Amino acid sequence: MYHKVLIACILAAVGCLPIRDLQAQTPDCHCFIKGVVRDDHTGQPVVGATLLLVGSNKGVFTDEKGRYQFYNLCPGSYQLECRIVGYQPRRQTIDLQEGHEENFALAEEEIHLKDVEITAQRNDAPITQPINTLSGADLTQTRGQSLGESLKGLTGLTTLQTGASVAKPVIHGMHSNRVLIMNNGVRQEGQQWGSEHAPEIDPFVATRLSVVKGAAGVRYGSDAIGGVILVDPQELPIDKLLSGEINTAFFSNGRQGVGSATLQGGIKGVTGLGWRAQGTLKRGGNIRTPGYFLNNTGSEERNFSLATGYRKRGFGAELFYSHFATKLGIFSGSHIGSVTDLLTVIERGEPLIKSGFSYTIGRPYQNVTHDLVKAEAHYHFADGNRLQWVSSWQFNNRFEYDLHQPRNDSLASLNRPELSFRLTTFTNDFIWDHKPLKGKIAGQIGLSTLYQYNLMSGRPLIPNFDQWNVGLFAIERLLKNGWEVEAGLRYDYRYLTTYRIVNRVKVTDEFRFHNASGTLGVGRNLTSKWSLRLNAGTAWRAPNVSELFSDGVHHGAAAFEEGDASLKPEKAFNSIGSVRYSVENLTVEVGGYYNYIRDYIYLKPQPEPILTVRGAFPYFKYTQTDATFRGIDATVDWKLSGRWSVGSKLTYLRVSDVRNNSYLVMIPANRWDNQLKLNLDDLNWGEKMYFLISNRWVGEQRRVPKASDFAPPPTAYSLWNVQWGATFAMAKERKLELTLTADNVLNTSYRDYLNRFRYYADDMGRTISLRARFSFGS
Amino acid sequence: MKMKTVQAIVLMAVATILFQCKSASEVEPDDENELITTVLLKFTETGTSTTTTVTYRDIDGDGGNPPTRFDQVVLKSNTAYALVVEVLDESKNPAIDITGEIKEKADEHLFIFTPNPSSLLTYTYGDKDARNLPLGLTGVVNTAAAGVGMLKVQLRHQPAINGSPVKDGTSGPGSDDVNIDFSVEVK
Repeated sequence: MYHKVLIACILAAVGCLPIRDLQAQTPDCHCFIKGVVRDDHTGQPVVGATLLLVGSNKGVFTDEKGRYQFYNLCPGSYQLECRIVGYQPRRQTIDLQEGHEENFALAEEEIHLKDVEITAQRNDAPITQPINTLSGADLTQTRGQSLGESLKGLTGLTTLQTGASVAKPVIHGMHSNRVLIMNNGVRQEGQQWGSEHAPEIDPFVATRLSVVKGAAGVRYGSDAIGGVILVDPQELPIDKLLSGEINTAFFSNGRQGVGSATLQGGIKGVTGLGWRAQGTLKRGGNIRTPGYFLNNTGSEERNFSLATGYRKRGFGAELFYSHFATKLGIFSGSHIGSVTDLLTVIERGEPLIKSGFSYTIGRPYQNVTHDLVKAEAHYHFADGNRLQWVSSWQFNNRFEYDLHQPRNDSLASLNRPELSFRLTTFTNDFIWDHKPLKGKIAGQIGLSTLYQYNLMSGRPLIPNFDQWNVGLFAIERLLKNGWEVEAGLRYDYRYLTTYRIVNRVKVTDEFRFHNASGTLGVGRNLTSKWSLRLNAGTAWRAPNVSELFSDGVHHGAAAFEEGDASLKPEKAFNSIGSVRYSVENLTVEVGGYYNYIRDYIYLKPQPEPILTVRGAFPYFKYTQTDATFRGIDATVDWKLSGRWSVGSKLTYLRVSDVRNNSYLVMIPANRWDNQLKLNLDDLNWGEKMYFLISNRWVGEQRRVPKASDFAPPPTAYSLWNVQWGATFAMAKERKLELTLTADNVLNTSYRDYLNRFRYYADDMGRTISLRARFSFGS
Repeated sequence: MKMKTVQAIVLMAVATILFQCKSASEVEPDDENELITTVLLKFTETGTSTTTTVTYRDIDGDGGNPPTRFDQVVLKSNTAYALVVEVLDESKNPAIDITGEIKEKADEHLFIFTPNPSSLLTYTYGDKDARNLPLGLTGVVNTAAAGVGMLKVQLRHQPAINGSPVKDGTSGPGSDDVNIDFSVEVK
């Protein structure tokens, strides 16, 4: 389980002791860096933290008092990397002054002292897998969008959309039940199996969004096949002064307004306490494509969260509650009754009914709420052991209202949803971080349990069920001579019981799934410029109830989908490597992966259609095959001059159905993002300002199986965006950040293969957005 | 310290297991919403009182079992028939007659009869809604020379959008609630 601890590596002293030899031309190597590493949380010294001078062979460990020192260093610029095993490493540049040579006989107090605080935020993500993070200014630029949309700009990521209001994150071509989302350290449990079910998370809860790519099954359990998305708020402001921020965003397309505010602080007079309150409101109307409005595509959201925490010496406890509520209008032109309807729509190329703009949300629409309560307690022992217990309750309510109400007036007046799901989940995680062995090996052993039950009413798309999961894992990490090695094992067991009515008779089915996962990874900083990470791991995924029991027409897809109760769990074997080259003006990062998924579950078209009262529908059955996902994620950041910089990101993916020697449907096409940025950091009236022009090119997906779709994937497209941003620092630690963006500035008409509305209409036209972020306090 | 560690571990492990309340017992799954399970085409030769009923019946709705009854339309050549359509939900007990509800909401519904080949027979509407647009619950079928083919029977559901009616007498607006291809033999 994720838990946040701020570690401060405090450099007590940095400097160079002068020598008496003034004549020497060669710089004298008597500089030093020394200090103490303290746990910011408890104030206790951290034993066994590693400090490395990147590029050299110098690495030291903190002693039993948390002290470390580097002596006999030559003056110059160093990158000091503080690595506490189990934490995301953090680098800091230290400049060792050589300007004291002229002074000799200096007392130690007069030596240039610099307090360099390095804070490393703890992150339980595997350290040998690539992890992309959005925080700070990068995150501010995405504010106001949904979680899926916010992450879209990272390499390897894209979205599976149902129009503009529903976006699910896709990592390396995998989504829904193959991507796990950790919401403030808790597994997000909603009806993720649905391709039209967006994650019910307010990104404003987080100050950091991280994506772990590759199979992360050992740490996180089932479903972490494509990767894991970590939504993390900041550490609670224990004993700190009042601070907060207000975010507003306005989007021209859809005339959407978003407002979010956070207030946090300690409590005066009471030590050890901290609290945070946060809330978001969103309201938008019909979206517009370059040619026409999409009727009934408005949305609204009302979210809030509260958190409080207590710390005293080695003990900490936290309580968190979040409420997410959304009402999403579904484009009325996407409702089709039969294959004839769909083919007519595809041929027409645009919706028959063209509406104007409106904020009104009518049928069809989705009404979703998600409530999360999280309680956490932990204790640091003086000998270095740490225990943590995280408990959570989640309630996910999803109501879907069809376009057509019942014809019967008395039934219609009840205004019941045609589909209703209530999912309740309890989780308990218990983690023990054992004290570092020999100061080099650190690790954790954890026990995760989950109990969940689902109640549905309306159209029996998925049955009622309850399930019990338990997982036991151990991960060890070793730092030696600049090498980082990580190894882990996990065992999962799932017991699922479903309850259905078949031909007016209640049928109960039981399933037992179990799996063992492993991970092995290495990381190394080869020189100060090159670093390398390799990881091989496994992950698994039990079939979800929709894959086991679907039996009906999926209206949005004009397909009859049938499940298979004999499906086995998927097992993924993933290898992922990334290489990073970083010099002053240029950073290049290339990651490659090969993911082999055995028993991959997908919908296979059957030879004969299924006949219903609405005509014949193509018949798809959930089947298993073996699939490979191979790809490359590459990022280049090049600073051309003081002001100009160029960035490029490439996402390349090749997926194959190896058992049938074919392709798979709904695999995102390759994309290439490029940007040119002008940084103006030295103006008088804006502390920092930038202009940016960017282009996204998305290719045409040609690797599609035959006879699996009504319309071929859309052609390649290219979108241009321009952006302006400025940061104004004001008095008393107040800051105002403004961002003005024009997305799809040329109002290009396009359709994306992973947007399920591509049969019915074009994608969004031009959007001009203005974002403002005002923050105060520390 | 060590003992305290062990105690803490034991306490938390016990609490972990105890917290898994199995109090959520099975709940009776609900029944489905309104379905159209049965479409009846009642042909009465003009001038007689003999009615032939052609039935499409799929009691359990989409999926499950295939339609239990899917009759063929057999008509005499060069004859006029009065055609009355009935729509039922026979998955419920007692069966729900949806025909009446369609009639009440005539300005949201339209039956469309499409013969294939188009020369096989012609259909003429016998009823209208409040806006003078056809409905199709009653009508007249005129068969031509002997032959075989298909008759597509569609029920288009065309409710108003944003308060303005969209039904215009064509198949354009709305979506299919019924789309059945009956095989036809004209003798």
